[in-house]
Amino acid sequence: MNLAIETKKLVKTYKGRGGSGITVVDNLDLEVGAGEIFGFLGPNGAGKTTTIKILLGIIAATSGEAYVLGGEAGDIEVHRRLSYLPEKPYYYEYMTGLELMRFYASLFKIKDEAKCIELLRRVNLGNDFNRPISQYSKGMQQRVGLAQSLLNDPELLFLDEPTGGLDPIAHIEIRDLILQFREEGKTVFISSHELSDVERICDRVAIINKGQIVAQGRLEHLLAGGRVEITADGVDQAMHDALMAPERVVSLKSGRLILDIADTDDVNSILDSLRTKQCKVQSIIPRRKRLEDLFIEAVGADDVAKGRERGRMTEKGEAVAVTETKEEENV
Amino acid sequence: MHAVFAIARTTIGEAIRRRVLLVILLIALLLLVVAPGMNVLTARQSQTVLTSLILGVLQLSSAVIAIVLTVYMLPNEVERRTIYTILSKPVLRWQFLLGKYLGAVGALGLMMAMMTGTMILVFALVQRGASTDLLTGLARVPIMFFVQMCLLAAVAVFFSTFVQPVVNFFLSGGVYLVGTVFGSLFSTISENQNLPMVAKIGSNLIMWLVPNFAQYNVQNSVINQGSVIVSEQVYYAQMVIYGIVYISILLLAGMLIFDRREV
Repeated sequence: MNLAIETKKLVKTYKGRGGSGITVVDNLDLEVGAGEIFGFLGPNGAGKTTTIKILLGIIAATSGEAYVLGGEAGDIEVHRRLSYLPEKPYYYEYMTGLELMRFYASLFKIKDEAKCIELLRRVNLGNDFNRPISQYSKGMQQRVGLAQSLLNDPELLFLDEPTGGLDPIAHIEIRDLILQFREEGKTVFISSHELSDVERICDRVAIINKGQIVAQGRLEHLLAGGRVEITADGVDQAMHDALMAPERVVSLKSGRLILDIADTDDVNSILDSLRTKQCKVQSIIPRRKRLEDLFIEAVGADDVAKGRERGRMTEKGEAVAVTETKEEENV
Repeated sequence: MHAVFAIARTTIGEAIRRRVLLVILLIALLLLVVAPGMNVLTARQSQTVLTSLILGVLQLSSAVIAIVLTVYMLPNEVERRTIYTILSKPVLRWQFLLGKYLGAVGALGLMMAMMTGTMILVFALVQRGASTDLLTGLARVPIMFFVQMCLLAAVAVFFSTFVQPVVNFFLSGGVYLVGTVFGSLFSTISENQNLPMVAKIGSNLIMWLVPNFAQYNVQNSVINQGSVIVSEQVYYAQMVIYGIVYISILLLAGMLIFDRREV
């Protein structure tokens, strides 16, 4: 695989008071292939933004290696081929959208005004590029941010919470733009909390917790292990008994069968058996594992393994521990 | 240098729209306009008092603008995350810092030019019949003040690479005060034979480290008609060179610190 990003045992430790260190990125091994849309997920404070800053050379790693587009992270020549859209970006508000584009273009020595306008049109700011950015809505500011990030026709885009805090329409617009980047063969590295977006647009994801990767891989592999629910009428007890098997949940009542099986099970042969016995198949509902389930599972398991607590707020505002260790203590 | 000038232009654009700076500028312009009216309070010769007053207003306002303009410059860029989008482009940190400094100096120059224009206009209107030599002399003083303020801005930019804005405000202000007002005090201490060696070494160290802002205070040659700067052109040239060297050292040190700083 041709890699756009690669980190090896990447560590970032901040010095705390009294000489103690806080490790924000802990032995991070990451591989992002060229042309992929890669989702980088994790709870708040997991080390996502710190990792991006290291990859951009904005901060230095304490140890380990980080390579971006074949060069060392922070290499100025590599910066000509990538772009970054930070979380909740601020742009010089006195400028108009077009002036902002001119400013960022000048950092690449690009003097192509038509290109600036074309990119602004691409992000649906064709009618607003002469308005000051101070008059832009949050979604428009995010779109102008995306437009500036495309000025150098980057091979790699780092997007930090690109849809955070946007209304549903702006949200969809940004998501569609990211999907266009895939069609153009760009590599997109998205750090986000919007799991439904990530699930919809990313090829691969990595989940990070307390600076460490807790799950990484292709979405279809990570989300494998879903279930399929088959409902059929006119089923007799013999058929019910024949369908009984480990990893299956079979229920029969008044001739109605509800069968819950793993999606790896042979669904077709089960359906064939039911049809042969003149049973009427009412529904086949695949219940896919969601990224949200995987996220909670992976982060929760990591917290449990390391004896950390992750609270859930009750109506009274009291934190309720959800890790096993705490539950055991409560018992 | 393309990136440096692009950043400088943006810094000027932003600085001239900062309300706090505009308020300071407005107060300064107002003081320059009403300054002739304060003349009635004193019995001293009106031209001397007026010259002294308006140049004082110009210098003090410029110093406040220079410090306020520069102490928040880098922290604001970090806080608003604009620095991240800029540093993720092919821009090196020294280019960013130099661009910010040049932009600050450019904005300072614009504001000082506005104050100088107002000052000369007010002076020419109030002191009808003032000689061209006097007016030219009056216009020359702010040039030296400008170099002084560029030096002060470099001090503030240097400190802004590693201290918080409030601390920087007092540090830069303190350095300016020491370099302007207390320079002679430290000079006296270092030459006094009766004082302990530690005090003398300390004074010498401060005099060596702190830029000599006082040498840019050339207003006496305009305020007191009798006082003359010997080889004026040469003196001015020397002061400009001194300023450029000091500014370069401060900016280089700032760049080295900023290059290693985590933002």
